[in-house]
Amino acid sequence: MNDRPAADGADDRPAADGRGVGEFVTAWATALHRAHYVPISAEQRHRIVTGLADRVVTAVLAGPGGPGEGRRIGADLVAAGFGSPEALGGTIAVLTSRLLGDLGVAADPTRTARLNDLLAELATGFTSAAHDHSLRAQDTVRLAALAARTQAEEALRVSEVRFRRFATHDQLTGLPNLTLLTEQLGRLSTAEAPTDRVGVCCLDVDDFAAVNDVLGYQVGDLLLREIAARLGALADGRFDLVARLDSDRFAILVRDTTCAGDVVKIADRALAVLAAPFRVNGTEVPLTVSAGVAEGTVADGGAARLMRAGEIALHWAKADGKATLRLFDQDRSNADAERYRLSAAMPAALRRGEFTAAYQPVTALRSGRLAGVEALARWRHPQLGLLSAARFIELAERTGLVVALGSQLLEQACRQASRWQRIQPGLYVSVNVSVRQLHRTGLAGEVAQILDRTGLPPHLLHLEITEQAVIDLTGVVTQTLAALMQLGVRIVIDDFGVGYANLANLRSLPLYGLKLDASLTRPSAQPARWPGARRPGTDDDFLGTVVSLGHRLGLVVTAEGIETAQQAHRLTAAGCDNGQGWHFGRPVPPDEITAGIVAQQHREAVPPGPELPVIPVQRR
Amino acid sequence: MERPEWAPADVDLSRPSVARAYDYWLGGSHNFEVDREFARQALAAVPDLRLVARANREFLHRAVRFMLDEGIRQFLDIGSGIPTVGNVHEIAQQVDPHSRVAYVDIDPVAVTHSTHILAGQPNAVALLEDLRHPEAILDHPEVRRLLDLDRPVGLLLVSVVHAVPDHDDPYGLIRRLWTALAPGSCVAISHVTTDSRPDEMGEGARLSGRTNTPVTARTRAQVEDFFTGLDLVEPGVVWSPLWRPESEADVGEHPERMSFYVGVGRRR
Ligand SMILES: C[S@@+](CC[C@H](N)C(=O)[O-])C[C@H]1O[C@@H](n2cnc3c(N)ncnc32)[C@H](O)[C@@H]1O
Repeated sequence: MNDRPAADGADDRPAADGRGVGEFVTAWATALHRAHYVPISAEQRHRIVTGLADRVVTAVLAGPGGPGEGRRIGADLVAAGFGSPEALGGTIAVLTSRLLGDLGVAADPTRTARLNDLLAELATGFTSAAHDHSLRAQDTVRLAALAARTQAEEALRVSEVRFRRFATHDQLTGLPNLTLLTEQLGRLSTAEAPTDRVGVCCLDVDDFAAVNDVLGYQVGDLLLREIAARLGALADGRFDLVARLDSDRFAILVRDTTCAGDVVKIADRALAVLAAPFRVNGTEVPLTVSAGVAEGTVADGGAARLMRAGEIALHWAKADGKATLRLFDQDRSNADAERYRLSAAMPAALRRGEFTAAYQPVTALRSGRLAGVEALARWRHPQLGLLSAARFIELAERTGLVVALGSQLLEQACRQASRWQRIQPGLYVSVNVSVRQLHRTGLAGEVAQILDRTGLPPHLLHLEITEQAVIDLTGVVTQTLAALMQLGVRIVIDDFGVGYANLANLRSLPLYGLKLDASLTRPSAQPARWPGARRPGTDDDFLGTVVSLGHRLGLVVTAEGIETAQQAHRLTAAGCDNGQGWHFGRPVPPDEITAGIVAQQHREAVPPGPELPVIPVQRR
Repeated sequence: MERPEWAPADVDLSRPSVARAYDYWLGGSHNFEVDREFARQALAAVPDLRLVARANREFLHRAVRFMLDEGIRQFLDIGSGIPTVGNVHEIAQQVDPHSRVAYVDIDPVAVTHSTHILAGQPNAVALLEDLRHPEAILDHPEVRRLLDLDRPVGLLLVSVVHAVPDHDDPYGLIRRLWTALAPGSCVAISHVTTDSRPDEMGEGARLSGRTNTPVTARTRAQVEDFFTGLDLVEPGVVWSPLWRPESEADVGEHPERMSFYVGVGRRR
C-alpha cells in the first residue's frame, strides 16, 4: 500500500522510513508539554502525540478519513489533557509551520487546503471540547459547593444537637442535668402547660466524700453511674425526669401529682432501690441516701420554690440523721427561717446593746432570806419585744456569738451585784457559762478583770456550768476551772440530775455547789414501779439521795423550778439549801430586785410571821 | 459555655479559596469568579505564577513516583486541594492498582468535590480535617481503615505547610505526624519562599491574606528545619524544578523563579 511515489497525488504517504513523522511528533509533543502540564511521562506523551499525528498526516495527505475527523482530533487533544489555550496555539503553530516540511512533501494547493480545513476543524473541535470540559467542571464544582453547604449545615445541626445534649446532660452518667431539670420545671410553670401540680424529690448520697477519699474517685464515679442507672430504671411515664444535679446529688421530677403522697411513694422507691448493696470490683460498698420531697402547684414561679423546698427538706433529712426522707413542711421552714433571721441579727444587736440581764431571786430555804440572784440573758428585740434566753442562746452557741454575749452579761451582772452589796452585803450573783466559753483559754483572766473593774468579791460570783460541759475534761477546761477556783470564784453544776454526769468529775473538780434540775423539784405524776424491784423508789427517795450526795461531797444544793409552796416545803424537807422558781420570784429587771431587798429589810425590822416570806413580784 | 471544637467550618463562597485559585492557575475550571478574581490579582503580581504552580505540581508527581519506587503503596496527602488531572491515587494506581490514598483538606468544597470524584473508589477517600490537628487525622477511622500505619506511608505536604502560621507550631505538628508513621515512611514538603523574588512573591503572599488560608513564606533554612530528625533524600532542599528532574530540559533557566523550596525526607 505504500508503493506509490512520495510527494505526488492525492494519496501521498509520508516518507517510507517514517523519520519525517517522527520529527514532527517530537516537535508537537514538545510544544504541547511546554504549553500545558499533563502528569504523564515523556514516553506516554510521545505515544499519544504519535497517534494523533498519524491521523493528521492521513487527513492531510489522503484527505479526511471521514466527516468530522479534524474535530475529533481537536477533541481528543482536550481529552488527553492538553486543553489549554496554549496547547491549541502550539498545535496550530506546529501544524502550520512544520507538518508539510517534516513530511518532506510539497505545499501544493490541495494539501494546503486540506491542512487549512483540518486546522479550522481541529480548532473548532478543540474549543468546543474545552468548552464542554469547563462547563462540566463548573457543574461539578457547583455541585460540590452545594454538597459542602448541605454537609456543613447538617454537621452544624448534629453539632447543635450534640452541643445541646452536652449542655443539658451530665457527661458521667448520661442523665439530664440541673439545666434541663430547671428548664423543664420552668416550662411546667408557664401558663400554657396543663400540669398544675408537680413533685420534686431531691436525693443525696450520705457521706459520699468519704467514698471518694477512701476508695478513690474512680470507684466514686462507678458508684455514681450505678446509682444513676438504678434511678434511671425507676423512671416510667409518670416520672418525667431523673437528673443528676452535681456530684452526688440527684433529683426526680414527678409530673401531674395529686398530693405529696405521690412523690413520697416514689422517693421511698428510690431509697429502696438504692438500699440494695453496691458492689464495685467485687467489694461491697455500703451506701445510704437521704431524700427531700416537695410537692405543690407550679403556676407562676412555683417551680423554683418547689425545687428550693425539696432542697430544704433534703437538708432536714441530713440534719435528722441521714438515710431517711423528709417531706417539706411550711411551718418547720418558717421556724427555720425565723431562727436564721434571729441568728443573723444577733451580732448587730450585741453591738447596739440590745442584750440585757434579768435577775431571778435565789432564796435560802431555811431562813427564807434572799441568798443570791441568777442573771438571765434577755434580748430587747426592736420588733419582737423581750426575748428570753431559750429563743436565742442555742443559736448564739452555734454561731459562737455566745462568747461575746457571755462576757457582756458577766460584766453587767457583776456590776449590778457589786451595787447590791451596799444594801445587802453577801448577795451573790449566778451567771451561766456556756461550753464554748469554757473551752476558751483566757476565760479566767477575763473574769479576773471583770471582778477588778466591778469590785465584786470573787466568792460572790457563781458560775453555772452544765454537766455536759464537764463530762469530758480536756486540758483547757480543767485549767480554766482551777484558775477560776484560785480566783475564789465559785463553780456550780447546773441542771444536775438529767444529763450524763460523770460522778468521778464531781470529786475531782473544785466545785462549790449543785443546781438540781427542775424535773427533780416536781414529783412525777405516777411513782415509777418496776416489776421485780424489791421496793419501788419514790421521788422523795430519789431527791433525798441526790441532796445527800451533794452534801456528802461538801456541796451547796440549790433546787430550781419551784412553783408552789408545797414544792418549797418538800425541798426544804429534803434538805436542799437554796430554792429558786416562780414561787420565790420570776426573773425581773434589777430595780425590782432592789425593791425586794428593801422590802425584806423592812419586814425584818418587824417580827417575822409564820409563813415563808415571799418576794413580791409583778406578774407580767 | 463555649462552643465545642467539633462545631463544623462554615462554607463561605464569597471568599476566594486557595484550592480553587490553584486549580485556575493550573488551567482548571473548578473555580468561581471570586477565586478567579483573586487568582488574576496574584497573576498581576507574579506574571509567571502559572508556571510556579505547575512546577510545584510537577514536584508532587515526581515525589510520588519516587516513593512508589521506594516501595511505598499508601499515601496521606494533606492539603490535597481540588482534584485536577494527575491526582495521587491515579499516579499510584498506575503503578499498583492496590495503592491506597487518603486525601485531607480543610476546604469543604475541595473535599466534597474529591469525594464525588472518588465515588466507587474503594482505595481512596477525602476527609475534611485540618493539618493543625494531626491526631484527628491520624486517628480518623477512615484513615485507620485505609492506611496501615505499621507499614511505610508517603506523607505529602505539598504547598500546604506555608498555610500554617508560626503560632500554630508547624514544626511540632509535622513532627507529630511523621513520628506516628512506620520507619521507611517518606515525607514530601514543598513550601513558598520570598528568598528569590522578595517583591513579587511578597505581594503574592500579602494577597493571600484575602483567602481562607493566608501564606507564611519561609527561608531555605526554615524549610530545611522541617526535615530535622528525618534523613533528607538527595538532592536535599532545592528549588522545585531541581528536585530529581526527568530531563535537563524540564529545569528551565531560572529554577529559583519557581519560588518553592522542596524536599523529601525518610523516617529512620
Ligand atoms: C495550593 S493547594 C495544594 C494542592 C496540592 N497539594 C498540590 O500541591 O498540588 C493548598 C491546599 O491546602 C489546603 N490547606 C490549607 N491549610 C490547610 C490546613 N491547615 N489543613 C489542611 N489543608 C489545608 C487548602 O485548602 C488547599 O486546598
